[in-house]
Amino acid sequence: MTASQILFQQIINGISIGAMYSLLALGFTLVYGIIELINFSHFNVFMVGSFIGLGVLQAFGLSGQSVVLTGAALAFVLSVAFMVTMLASGALGVAIERLSLRPLRHVKGPAAMITTIGISYILQNVVMLAIGARSYNYANPLPSTSWQVDGATIQLREVLIWIVAPLLMAALNFFVNHTRMGKAMKATAQDQEAARMMGVEVDRVVMLSFFIGAALAGASGLIFGLYYNFTNFMIGYTAGLRAFTAAVLGGIGSVPGAMVGGLIIGLIESLGGQYLAVRWTDVIIFSILVLLLVFRPTGLMGRMAPNKS
Amino acid sequence: MSFTTRSPAHNRRALLTTAALAAGALGLSAAGVQAAPIIVKIGISLPLTGADAESATLIKDGALLAIDQANAKNMVPGYTFVPMVLNNATATAGQYDPAQAATNAKKFLSDPKVIAIVGPEMSGDGKAMSPILSQGDMACVTPASTNPDITSPAFAGQYRPRGKAVYFRTVTTDAYQGPNMANFYKDDLHVKSVYILDDSGAYGVGLANAFEAQAKKIGIKVLGHDQLDPKDADYTTILTKIKGLGPDAIYYGGVGMAGVKLIKQAYDIVPKMIKGGGDGMYGTDLLTGAGFPAAQGWYATIAAPHLLDDSKASSWVKAYDKKFGKQPSDYAITSYDAAEVILHAVKAVAMEGKKVSHSTVRDAIQKTDLMTLQGKVSFNENGDLMNKVISVFEIEHNPKYPLDDMIHQYKYIGVAPQNAS
Repeated sequence: MTASQILFQQIINGISIGAMYSLLALGFTLVYGIIELINFSHFNVFMVGSFIGLGVLQAFGLSGQSVVLTGAALAFVLSVAFMVTMLASGALGVAIERLSLRPLRHVKGPAAMITTIGISYILQNVVMLAIGARSYNYANPLPSTSWQVDGATIQLREVLIWIVAPLLMAALNFFVNHTRMGKAMKATAQDQEAARMMGVEVDRVVMLSFFIGAALAGASGLIFGLYYNFTNFMIGYTAGLRAFTAAVLGGIGSVPGAMVGGLIIGLIESLGGQYLAVRWTDVIIFSILVLLLVFRPTGLMGRMAPNKS
Repeated sequence: MSFTTRSPAHNRRALLTTAALAAGALGLSAAGVQAAPIIVKIGISLPLTGADAESATLIKDGALLAIDQANAKNMVPGYTFVPMVLNNATATAGQYDPAQAATNAKKFLSDPKVIAIVGPEMSGDGKAMSPILSQGDMACVTPASTNPDITSPAFAGQYRPRGKAVYFRTVTTDAYQGPNMANFYKDDLHVKSVYILDDSGAYGVGLANAFEAQAKKIGIKVLGHDQLDPKDADYTTILTKIKGLGPDAIYYGGVGMAGVKLIKQAYDIVPKMIKGGGDGMYGTDLLTGAGFPAAQGWYATIAAPHLLDDSKASSWVKAYDKKFGKQPSDYAITSYDAAEVILHAVKAVAMEGKKVSHSTVRDAIQKTDLMTLQGKVSFNENGDLMNKVISVFEIEHNPKYPLDDMIHQYKYIGVAPQNAS
């Protein structure tokens, strides 16, 4: 491979990793945008989602990468898997909100955020104890098709992630900006009290934002499994931390910011690994984050929180 | 139980006890009344959950089998052996956790009945446990941890501040495992250039460095050496870089957490490159986690002779299978041997009429000269095994057997050469 081919390949790698971070960052940003809560349980809802997806795929009789589907069968299996995973993860998100965060909503200070960290650990440990701690070979019906483009290899599963991630982001953007419920969310984000006076059911809106955030996390979990062909109870940690960084980098609370932030982190990871060393990846990512926050505290595309006048 | 519902049997026992007490009080011999056996505990500390849980369980069962057999045949009359099994993997680490290993070492020391330890499996844990055990003068016999620093005299001040060896091994060390594999790469696989990876753990870094030093010495070109974060999911970046550099082979020093992902992604990006690792790549977790065809063709080593196919071990393998319902690994044998070393040390101490304590047992372990399953086990003054054999395996899928059947999925290749030609 020539130097330019390697660069091209690493950009492809970076965009794929980045798309995953973006998708995971969306859920963060959504919940933060509505109730200004950094929801750390999001990491592990993502992890649970990858196991739910694995369960659905196994229920179809798939195991490992031995069964390959194409055409309508593939589309059917994948859409059922996405639907079940997103609904189940969404329900988990709603349960977390209803049981542990709603009672704390009016408590000032970091109590709610700390609670989400606690929930994150609970999810992680429950999965470890219930399912086991080793890495699981993911059931994956995708054919291992790949294309050679200018010396670089593009895998089918990379194309999948490039399609699914923007699709979900666009759907979210449309929902927030152009539907009644989305407008209610925006209103709640701007001023809960005023929104309530205008007849917005704030509790429902908050619950809905948790549902959507968790459903997106579940979808990312399933994509993660299909992309890497494995899952374990630990995957939420590194991916979640990078996605959180992506959300902050892009400007937490901003949907386009999450997308851009994710892609930037993905590219830093792949190009930094190529031209410096993999062991420096985290150092580079977090140095850029610190520098950016020093000069632009709201992130790349963030605004100051709207309801803090 | 209330006094009014005493069973006749109970009454009889009470009567006997009274009689025995009376006899004792009268200064008569209480012959025929068996003294309660002395309980001796053998500590076992392994990462029983987490990324290496399956191989750790096989190791644990090897030790348990030895302890059970010793009790069944009343190996040391008057003594009953009880295992005390502690897990040293944590959810935060996702795999073995040296901090937990240190806590376990302290727990063992605080129990006066614990006389020695089988374990640890991981060198990172060993580095945490050894100084604590040295302070308490308690020995551990590791069936799998291979980092040479822990027993090296150069680091004695750090790992055994009290001076005496407390870290014994029934396997040899990475001072042989890494370099001998480098010799195997050159002589048997005809590798001319290599890229080295490790998983940033104590074991992985040490093994990879030992491999690198020997590779350079015997003229294999080392194109680079980078570290993987075991919690990271994506190694495509480094593998793409390696693809661009185009070495003949990859050598990976590390355990399963990064290993499973490396196997999968290396299969996608550099499917034809020669790939190998140490005993961290010898385990069922790798086969079930990575699956085939990805794992096909990976080389792995162990720091012990390969015995599972040996006729000498066949009855043992059957006994293991019968008791636990699964096939053992070679490190289940070294673990059985480690427990044997401890049991025989207790026996030696008891025979001499000395008090069985962790100090006396440590001294007896140092003097071990025992025929075990793997052959003769004896230790040098640092606790290292005198025998130094590195066995090489290649993962080769045998669809007739389940994925976690080590004997049939790891094909034994031979002993790695001590010197490169």
